[in-house]
Amino acid sequence: MIKITNLEKFYRTEEVETIALNKLTMEVNTGEFVAIMGPSGCGKSTLLNILGMLDDPDEGSYVFNGIEVAHFNERKRADLRKHNIGFVFQSFNLIDELTVFENVELPLIYTGVTASERVKRVEEVLDKMQIMHRRNHYPQQLSGGQQQRVAIARAVVNKPKLILADEPTGNLDSSNGNDVMELLTDLNEQGTTIIMVTHSEHDARYSHRIIRLLDGQTVMENIMV
Amino acid sequence: MLKSFIKATFRSLTKNKAYSFLNIFGLAIGIACASLIFLWVENEVNYDSTHLKKDRIYLARENQKYDTYIFTHSSTPGVMGPAIQAELPGIANTCRSNEGTESLLFGAGDKPVFANGKYVEPSFFSIFTLPFVQGNPATAFKQLRSVVITQKTAKKFFGNEKNVLGKSIRVDNKQDYIVTGVLKDIPANSTIQFEWLMPFQIYWDKSPWLKSWGNNSLSTFIELKPGINPETLNKQLYGFIQKREPSSLGRVFLFSMNDWHLYDDFKDGFKTGGGQIEYVKLFTVIAWIILFIACINFMNLATARSEKRAREVGVRKVLGAGKGSLAMQFIGEAVFMSVMAAFFAVIIIALVLPAFNTLVQKQLVAGFDNPYHIIGLVAITLTCGLIAGSYPSLYLSSFNPVAVLKGLKLKDSGAAYIRKGLVVMQFTASVILIISTIIVYQQIQHVKSRQLGFNKDKLLEISLQGDMAKNFNAIKLDLLNTGYIQSVALSDHEIIYGGNNTSGLTWDGKPPGSEVLISQRYITPDFFDATGLKLIDGRNLTAMDTNSKPIAMIITQSMAKLMGKGSAVGKRVHGERDTTSAVVVGVVNDYVYGNMYGKPDPVMFFSTDPVHTTMMYVRIKAQKGIESSLTAVQDVLKRDNPAYPFNYRFVDDQFNQMFQSEMLVSRLSRVFSALAIIISCLGLFGLAAYTAERRVKEIGIRKVLGASVSGLAGLLSKDFLQLVIISCVIAFPVAYWVMQGWLKGYQYHIEIHWWVFLVSGLAAMFIAVATISFQAIKAALSNPVKSLRSE
Ligand SMILES: Nc1ncnc2c1ncn2[C@@H]1O[C@H](COP(=O)(O)OP(=O)(O)O)[C@@H](O)[C@H]1O
Ligand SMILES: [Mg+2]
Repeated sequence: MIKITNLEKFYRTEEVETIALNKLTMEVNTGEFVAIMGPSGCGKSTLLNILGMLDDPDEGSYVFNGIEVAHFNERKRADLRKHNIGFVFQSFNLIDELTVFENVELPLIYTGVTASERVKRVEEVLDKMQIMHRRNHYPQQLSGGQQQRVAIARAVVNKPKLILADEPTGNLDSSNGNDVMELLTDLNEQGTTIIMVTHSEHDARYSHRIIRLLDGQTVMENIMV
Repeated sequence: MLKSFIKATFRSLTKNKAYSFLNIFGLAIGIACASLIFLWVENEVNYDSTHLKKDRIYLARENQKYDTYIFTHSSTPGVMGPAIQAELPGIANTCRSNEGTESLLFGAGDKPVFANGKYVEPSFFSIFTLPFVQGNPATAFKQLRSVVITQKTAKKFFGNEKNVLGKSIRVDNKQDYIVTGVLKDIPANSTIQFEWLMPFQIYWDKSPWLKSWGNNSLSTFIELKPGINPETLNKQLYGFIQKREPSSLGRVFLFSMNDWHLYDDFKDGFKTGGGQIEYVKLFTVIAWIILFIACINFMNLATARSEKRAREVGVRKVLGAGKGSLAMQFIGEAVFMSVMAAFFAVIIIALVLPAFNTLVQKQLVAGFDNPYHIIGLVAITLTCGLIAGSYPSLYLSSFNPVAVLKGLKLKDSGAAYIRKGLVVMQFTASVILIISTIIVYQQIQHVKSRQLGFNKDKLLEISLQGDMAKNFNAIKLDLLNTGYIQSVALSDHEIIYGGNNTSGLTWDGKPPGSEVLISQRYITPDFFDATGLKLIDGRNLTAMDTNSKPIAMIITQSMAKLMGKGSAVGKRVHGERDTTSAVVVGVVNDYVYGNMYGKPDPVMFFSTDPVHTTMMYVRIKAQKGIESSLTAVQDVLKRDNPAYPFNYRFVDDQFNQMFQSEMLVSRLSRVFSALAIIISCLGLFGLAAYTAERRVKEIGIRKVLGASVSGLAGLLSKDFLQLVIISCVIAFPVAYWVMQGWLKGYQYHIEIHWWVFLVSGLAAMFIAVATISFQAIKAALSNPVKSLRSE
């Protein structure tokens, strides 16, 4: 599904140039559950953003489902993204001004799903995430675990083929964290490809494969049994 | 304490450059604009203030009652001044003079020049404060042929103003006069204006009609003794003329010099309280509105930014700062900003004052050394700072430190509503100004394109000088022979102005006791052809009609209507108090004169000998160019009337001149509404930036989820657009009501069209959207990765 080759990303600020990704090459197959680990600042989020087409690489190739997307323009990337990729963030990134229901509904609005169909699908996914009873609450009225479940609901409501999760348990206690990992595992078992950045060896164990990064390069890959 | 505060304020200003710029620039424009308006207001309010006896000086005016209205004249009988001074004990002094000014030709050097002046009695110098630079008031008018001039006139006549006393100057190529005094120049904001003064006796001697109590054609100025109530005099003046001339309609009363400039509007014989003062009030209000709009920017940006300051407030409170001291800090900041703004405003004022002077047609000086101006500027600045700082300081200083330090989201809704309300106020004011500007412009265009009844284009008006009247037939022939001229005629009055009304006329079928004001014009027969008036009944006048008995006359349609049904031709008009009688031989169409907004008043035309006329009208052929025709006319007059410089006016220019105050309002309202919308948009720009910044996370999330740039820009603009729409909803009825009131002041006026509102509303929305969309698109284009970085 994903094949990146010699991917490079630099950040230039006035005088310093940071190499966030340094000739990174990796591959992820459909249906895989991959964990990305590494010390802070090694380029994990940068990689995830590029995979999610939020950002474009400076050098190298990124082939998504057989299409070279490295130099897609913003519109094309957005188009590809909204139909194929769901995001889960460490800090949930729910919109405070919208209710749970409305937050989850957003991706469907942007992909042009009709109103009645939206209600059906949002309710379906809220049910699955067991937060149906909170549908009219605002994000601040929920616990961290609940917020992350809303975020995951929002990520999957469009039935994306790929979910990118950047430290999804980073702001959660271990029991809520485990719930989230169970959810992701379930999704993966139903066929969704998942790439997850994590600091936690415990969480990484839910995945099939761990890619370890250091200074923007792959240093090791572990296959889980 | 103060030092650390100023330091902190300055740091915060330089750290947020865009924010400071928007605030200071907006305030500076507001302060500069208000200051300029106040300069103008000061000039208007101080009219005539150089005259020390101002409170005791009056102009005698007359109410004359006609059938349908009372007309308030400003001229009085020539014999009245000395009579009231002798009989009424409250009067200290009187002075008679010709009304307005007279233009004479003065020849001092090689080139004779025209100058306007007045014939006055010597008491003029003691009633009005007119300092002599050379000569003195006691001796100035000892001799009959003397002339007192101003410094400016001295320069105009002699090239300099030194030692001109005793110099001789030839007037109208006939008579030599001696300069017996030089006066300090008259300030521009003085009602009494002249270039020269001559003894009243000269005017008296050449105007035999002045001696009758039934003739009203002079200005009579009156100085009351101190402590005299003008009302008691008004009672004595009311029947003063009637004791001498029972048939006179004139009821004299005193009109205070304090009211000459600002309150010179009469209706039904009473001051309406209106006049120029209405513009003074209007512009004062607008000045404050513009200042307030600028202050609103400050308030909005300050509270909008409050989240950024919340942390600071929290920390300061934890460290022991009280609410009061914090409030003082924020007010101090606002005052500091408005002081900075005032500094820039001074620069702006200095830069745009010349342009502003052109706009208002005055010679205002900034007068930064005038203590009143300094005090005024300081007052405006402090007011601005206090207004601008009031609300933000209360709002910011009331933050709960625990909540803000925990990073809890501030409950912003109260402030947000006030912010929205203030934006609505700004845009309401702006939209009202835009609508008013359009309507004022339409009204002026409406009147300017009014069918006057005569053709004012390519019509030349030349005052008769020297022997032009005597040689009229030759001049006329020469003019026609140039091939540029269609016709030439004479008249005793300027066609576009009113005046010379009479009411003592009667005719068969006229209701008894009815008084109608009818104007009389003495003309040569080509007058109708030259001016473009159309004969619609009967025949034209001929030279033969000049001395016919009964006198033949042509009347306008409205007069024909007054005289009853059927053709007016053959009907007769008689003087009520004498035996004169005139017969109607023709009727021409009505034409507008005097008041361009009024309805055409009736006119009678009589044929006259050229020597009794004062104006020549020259109609240029439609297909001929203006420039070449002028040259042709000039050549003829140079040849036929060589002693006088060629002096002419175009009637359409004179017509345009009659809209001075409306044009001023039109020009100023254009500037004010532009400024109001610019300042409002500066604020909107800042608010949009703030909103975009505050919603940056939301925008990022939406982008990640697939929102398009245009969708996001729309999302951000929508809220502001709503505010502008609300503003329109409020502004429309207010503007309608205000402008309907303004238009009521004019008989001939436009109807307000709905599309004016639509256009104004759309314009405001368009400008607002253009302002916001810059920020909105910028935010929508930004990379979501940055805003969502959680580390
Ligand atoms: N917008 C940016 N501007 C400059 N440097 C950045 C930016 N984003 C990330 N970096 C730098 O790139 C490197 C990789 O960052 P990131 O991918 O966020 O690391 P992490 O593995 O902790 O998620 C770090 O050194 C970081 O400082
Ligand atoms: Mg990271």
